[in-house]
Amino acid sequence: MTEILNGSDFGGISVHNFSEKILEQVVHFHAMKLNGGFFLWIGSAPVLSNLAVSMSSKYDPMPLSTLVMGDPSNTAANSLAQRLAKRTKKQVFVSYSLPMTDSSLSLLVENRIKKEMELHPENF
Amino acid sequence: MDKMAEPIIKSRQAQKEVNGIFTEVVCTEFSNYIFVTLTQYGKIGTLISVTPDSRSNDISTPTFSTKVLLGKDEPLTHVCAKNLATFISQEAGNRPVLLGLALKDSSIDTIKEIKDIIKSCKVW
Repeated sequence: MTEILNGSDFGGISVHNFSEKILEQVVHFHAMKLNGGFFLWIGSAPVLSNLAVSMSSKYDPMPLSTLVMGDPSNTAANSLAQRLAKRTKKQVFVSYSLPMTDSSLSLLVENRIKKEMELHPENF
Repeated sequence: MDKMAEPIIKSRQAQKEVNGIFTEVVCTEFSNYIFVTLTQYGKIGTLISVTPDSRSNDISTPTFSTKVLLGKDEPLTHVCAKNLATFISQEAGNRPVLLGLALKDSSIDTIKEIKDIIKSCKVW
């Protein structure tokens, strides 16, 4: 059988870091661009607390999302992954590893991600 | 915008042709996990956690538990994951390893070569 070459213009995995002071704390972002998706970690200390995956389905306008690691009672990673998957139409891995899940903070964090996506779409 | 000079998350990556297949390795260090992406598709693929078993006092060979968090749960996946991640965990002070595995070729020669690429991407 011949090798099926990927027809996309994917040029390999690339890593992109950025950070921002939000509500008196420095929030770090670590993005890894993949073929047809990306991995995004958000945190203030280098801990991987949870991991959610989300991707679109043709049967539902809202992307499917699941938590593969971490505390299921914390829905921050899951819902952020779902919203980013909806926005980008890609497979999205999110680790929301900020110690507290403050809704005003998560809103600002999400806005910061959206801003980065607008400024540097090539990194996602 | 507050730009930090040094990213909080350390990562290293390498690309190499292994047995004629374009292979990418990305190692990312978290305080509680080493996240390793090994891919010939540019995707995370199957996600496996490799955790050292806690032992009380014996000095025999350490054992590891593998768990497929996302993707097809088949015996070969566990074998490959254990083979690839055991040395990483041991070198990283018995930290658990989160492994993203998307290989077109899981032959022993390929696994051996991939291990060498991982060694060139040490973040621990």
